[in-house]
Amino acid sequence: MKNIVIGRYVPGKGFLYDLDPRTKLIALLVLMAATFIIDELIHMAAAILLIGVILVIGRISVKRVYLGLRPLLFLLIFTFAFQILFNTQGDLLFETPLYYSPITLGLVVVIVLIWGFTKRFIKFKLLYFLATVFLSLFVLNTFTEPLVFATGTFSIYEDALEMALFIMLRLIIIVTLSTILTITTKPTDLNLGLESVLKPLKVIRVNTEEIAMIISIALRYIPTLLDEANKIMLAQASRGVDFQEGKLKEKVMQIVSLLVPMFIISFKRSDELANAMEARSFIPGHPRTRLHLLTWKTLDTVVLVVSLTLLISSISIRVFL
Amino acid sequence: MGIKFERVSYQYQGIDQRGYLAIGDINLSINAAGEFITLIGETGSGKSTLVQHMNALLLPTEGRMKLFGLTIDKNTKKNKKIKLNPIRKKVGLVFQFPEYQLFEETVLKDIIFGPKNFGVSEEEAIKRAKKMIEVVGLDESYLSRSPFNLSGGEKKRVSIAGILAMEPDVLILDEPTSGLDPMGRNALLEVFYDIHKTLNKTVIIITHDMNTVYEYAQRALVMREGVLVYDGDPLQLFSKKNIDNWNLETPDILALSKAMETKFDITFSTPPRSRKALFTEIKEVLK
Repeated sequence: MKNIVIGRYVPGKGFLYDLDPRTKLIALLVLMAATFIIDELIHMAAAILLIGVILVIGRISVKRVYLGLRPLLFLLIFTFAFQILFNTQGDLLFETPLYYSPITLGLVVVIVLIWGFTKRFIKFKLLYFLATVFLSLFVLNTFTEPLVFATGTFSIYEDALEMALFIMLRLIIIVTLSTILTITTKPTDLNLGLESVLKPLKVIRVNTEEIAMIISIALRYIPTLLDEANKIMLAQASRGVDFQEGKLKEKVMQIVSLLVPMFIISFKRSDELANAMEARSFIPGHPRTRLHLLTWKTLDTVVLVVSLTLLISSISIRVFL
Repeated sequence: MGIKFERVSYQYQGIDQRGYLAIGDINLSINAAGEFITLIGETGSGKSTLVQHMNALLLPTEGRMKLFGLTIDKNTKKNKKIKLNPIRKKVGLVFQFPEYQLFEETVLKDIIFGPKNFGVSEEEAIKRAKKMIEVVGLDESYLSRSPFNLSGGEKKRVSIAGILAMEPDVLILDEPTSGLDPMGRNALLEVFYDIHKTLNKTVIIITHDMNTVYEYAQRALVMREGVLVYDGDPLQLFSKKNIDNWNLETPDILALSKAMETKFDITFSTPPRSRKALFTEIKEVLK
């Protein structure tokens, strides 16, 4: 629970830290749009290169970004597998027969079981998983004459590979960009930026100030509530709740014993917070002055112009070429 | 047997991988029965962290503990075979804020939650709940009420009853009297003292009230900045010079009797530790 990397600010120095949050938010949106517009591998490679350059100039450790990407690994693998298995458009690149027989299927089961039992001892879980998949395919590929009761084919099409690659790269780029934003921007600044970026919505009577306030309070209370959850778990553990094990019925009880105090404490906290805000004369909708004002620098203009140029060029490439 | 700390340290893990040392190098030995201990110290001195080690809620990051014969160190967490739950049955810990543990529909269900987790039958648990609700100074009518419609003091009492119903060998209370009125506080302290006296159990109380320490405790532990700076008789503790450095104040009775001794030039045969004892001493002197 304590290792959530997405959305965590990491203090540091660099041009990304000096940028105005508004710039970063708009640039993020613009660049995201650009990644969805480009549809050639060479352009995608250029985009990846650009991200690399941003990371290097901004002096952001690649390890942090990787930590942000890690929760997405499952999604990436899933989309990849889905594309490979079900997309049958384009040229056929590779085809191999699969033989289903008791022996091969049995071996696959054994391989999967071995993987299940040993995965926790292996450091490179993803590689190990891929190796297991390939080994299973290889086993299914071996021909065991008399017992084969069904045959199938494993085939990879060009479009499938391309689509899978594109989806993966796009996801990686988007998540990396958002991770860069949250790593380099304090939640309060981000919120301030969001409020000011959303300001045009006031025309259609959306109360952007309130939305921004709600978001900032929510962000502020994530660590507090995690802390409370931890305390509740300790208090219930001292009454014999074992959060590590237990049957399904006990598990339900454990979760209830955690959730009910959690709800009550959250309601109580929000009530107290509302009172505290009112005691300091907070009136929803009233104009407020700010302690920290956002300042627009030349650097912001440069960054914005560059990202808009990238978006426009990606659109024009798509339309005219 | 009992609780034994050998050079125990605990470090909280920060976000940026920098740890915060909550308690450091604690050596401590507590008997499984017959002790009445108060644990004092400023807020943030590591008292709560220390007691959370005593029922293995927190495991030391350095050093080792022996809890009722079970050795616990930093490797215990990885070893799935070691069951920590039996220790929590033996060492009952009441947290400072009852909101963290009350969750059932009725007070009765909440009190029997603990015992049932430790394998006590429902009938037996209900029997205990009926007894314990009286012990903490409420009556049986509370059992059918919702724990969320109680006052702060009543919630506190219910949470204490919930732990008492587990019938632990060692009872640890984290500021059990905070938020209670003076009368209720004294009554509850009498309850703990009674549990200690009649059932010969070890009771450990975290408190900021020096009068409690002076009146009840046989043994006082003082924490300061994560270090155990004093372990011994409360009487000697308050005659020490450095209690001001530890931000402790002199108990009222002690201050009063000291002042009387100097002002009226008398000496009490034994230093009185409670109001009652002071009265008898005064009577003795007047004779």
